[in-house]
Amino acid sequence: MNIMKTLKKYRAPYLFILPFFLLFFVFQLIPIVWTGYISFTNWKGLGEPQFCGLDNYRLLVNDYMVLDALTNTTIYWVSSLVIIIVISIAIALCLQSSRLKFRHFFQTATFLPYVCASVAMGLIFGMLFDENAGLINEILVSIGWDRVPWLTSSKYARIPVIILFNWRIIPWFTVIIYSALLNIPSDYYEAATVDGASEFQQFFRITLPLLKNMLFFCMLTITVDVWKMFNESYTLSGPGSSNTSLFQLIYEYAFKIFRLGYASSLSMLLIVILLAISILQFILKRREGEI
Amino acid sequence: MKNKGQEITKGVIVNIFMIIVVVICLFPVLWMCAISIKTVGEKVSGFNALVINEPTLENFKHLFTLVPIWNNLYNSLFTTIIGTITTLFFCALAGFAFAKYRFPGRDILFCFVVATMMISAEAGAIPLFVIMRKMGLINSLWSLIIPRIATAVGIFYLRQYMLDVPDELIDAAKIDGCHDFSIFYKIVCPIITPALASWASITVIARWNDYFWPLLFLNKTDKYTLMVSVAMLPVSDGLATPWQTILAGTTIVILPSIILYLFMQLFQKSGNFAGAVKG
Repeated sequence: MNIMKTLKKYRAPYLFILPFFLLFFVFQLIPIVWTGYISFTNWKGLGEPQFCGLDNYRLLVNDYMVLDALTNTTIYWVSSLVIIIVISIAIALCLQSSRLKFRHFFQTATFLPYVCASVAMGLIFGMLFDENAGLINEILVSIGWDRVPWLTSSKYARIPVIILFNWRIIPWFTVIIYSALLNIPSDYYEAATVDGASEFQQFFRITLPLLKNMLFFCMLTITVDVWKMFNESYTLSGPGSSNTSLFQLIYEYAFKIFRLGYASSLSMLLIVILLAISILQFILKRREGEI
Repeated sequence: MKNKGQEITKGVIVNIFMIIVVVICLFPVLWMCAISIKTVGEKVSGFNALVINEPTLENFKHLFTLVPIWNNLYNSLFTTIIGTITTLFFCALAGFAFAKYRFPGRDILFCFVVATMMISAEAGAIPLFVIMRKMGLINSLWSLIIPRIATAVGIFYLRQYMLDVPDELIDAAKIDGCHDFSIFYKIVCPIITPALASWASITVIARWNDYFWPLLFLNKTDKYTLMVSVAMLPVSDGLATPWQTILAGTTIVILPSIILYLFMQLFQKSGNFAGAVKG
């Protein structure tokens, strides 16, 4: 009775937020629970799933493709965190700098990669990094280096993927960091200048500490984005599983060779990794006493 | 004197760094446009790509014979436009509720919404495919629209903006006998138009560029979105699709979003998407 009363009294706000929860339930929560169930079966997409206990998980531990995919994705993740944060801060600082001419032009132009579709750019980067016809190798040769088999050797195949991913996503984080920079009151810098602090000191003592929360948010977003990376590694695929991302491997197991049960156990692995990373990041954050 | 010299050096470094950044940002796109108007006979390897002797539109014509571009274009436009409008509406509605109402469980529910951002819908792709098949939505464009009608990120951003709408305004409207929905529609929405506009542009980009979901849910050539068709170009003409044709395809996909973006820039004087990520 009490619940009904509350629902009736606050009918409007509950009704307004209902669509999200409804859709979340049907298209996110149910699928994830269901994935957990399928992961204990050997379902091939047809007929009834046969329960097979932990078989999928036992297979998974010894699957070298899974190990490759995990290694690749971890490399993508760590390198992207560093590259994106460093370059985005650098570009944002330059955009904010009073020394920059034509600020509006630079703002517009540096955001452009984010507008471009990653799949289409994947095709273009595939050509740029082509071993024989690609421009990158042509440049390397002209400065006296050897041709690099970017996408045909397992040693280098991750590099184009990292470059493409970062090329496209950095503008997005530049905008976020830039807008955070604009929110820092300029009196802080004026006071520091009066006290004789150099620009380096100002950056490390004022800018960085004040950006901390925003950077934390950026890192969480980057983490999720990288672990569900698909387009970049799919369009720039190297030999074998040399640059396959974990999510791409799930797609290939599930929808190319229809080992849905096994692919589901990989999905569970992905979910566990994402949860673990985000919980870890929150714990670290809390230890610093900021939440 | 030394200070002035330093000042000039710093200015030069900043400007040169940004010029390099811009070149890296723009080069792949310009390079693509250049190749897409070269004749098939011309060399496209290395620096040769940048020399255009006889510009031609043949590649685009060839493209139209390879894939049903008009169908695909319609599919892309439909999902992008309907998807953006519905998302905008439902995210703003939920954001409004979270920002401007006090109701039991509000804060817990909002934390929940934020937490769901950490788990991507992609992780449940396999059962989602089964659900779509059961709903008869495979090969239907609605399969791309419905699951993302209300997204956590959208609710989060729009709520931030709604918080700034003065409570007095809403109270005054209530006293005047405005209904909850008309307060949202007639009072709050007009105030946060800038936020809605920048969120709309972000959604348009994301929907237009979407690849994984169309790849999963659509499996007929004339049901494909443009993105899927273009991604399949390298294998759609036997295995020997010329680079010129492939890059003509990517041009068709990328140019509209760039033009739209530049167009938006002209209107938003305050500039760009910075508004969407207000703290």
